Amino acid sequence: MKTIEIIISTNGQSRLETRGFTGSHCRDASRFLEGALGKVSSEQLTAEYHQSIQHQPNQLKQEN
Amino acid sequence: MSHIVTIQTEVRDAEALGLACRRLELGEPVHETVPLFSREVTGYAVRLPDWRYPVVFDVEQGQVRYDNFEGRWGRPTHLNRLLQSYCVEKCRLEARRKGHSVLENRLSDGSIKLTIQIGEGQ
Repeated sequence: MKTIEIIISTNGQSRLETRGFTGSHCRDASRFLEGALGKVSSEQLTAEYHQSIQHQPNQLKQEN
Repeated sequence: MSHIVTIQTEVRDAEALGLACRRLELGEPVHETVPLFSREVTGYAVRLPDWRYPVVFDVEQGQVRYDNFEGRWGRPTHLNRLLQSYCVEKCRLEARRKGHSVLENRLSDGSIKLTIQIGEGQ
């Protein structure tokens, strides 16, 4: 399931996290909220992203 | 692929501001020119509980103007709560426009968690 989770702190700052997306779709899916809420102060890729990058070479070896 | 983004809220939507005021049982924001301690400002004015002067939102610039004398003329908690409610209502509005469903939960530390479910094919 694709979801966007937003934690809105008691001072109004929000932390947005996308889940269940592949490729760059997560950025596309959340862009409408990021632009609407205010200024993006930080962005980081999650472990899920890095794991998928690391697994790709192994998958290619198995196929060969 | 997933990512995490931290966003500093800017109040730029008068409709969401009105919904936030309703959520907190405050009066409707009124677009007007109001005096603060030493100047007049124009925008959507909101009267917070026990605040001497209104808080004024310039939605064009995304700026908020107020004078609470470092908390002596109004507790920052009230303004923070309004900003939090604005953020919730803005997310709900934007999600609804996209046809997404939203689940809302209040967390033990006072934060609010929204879970937006993205439909298949999007």
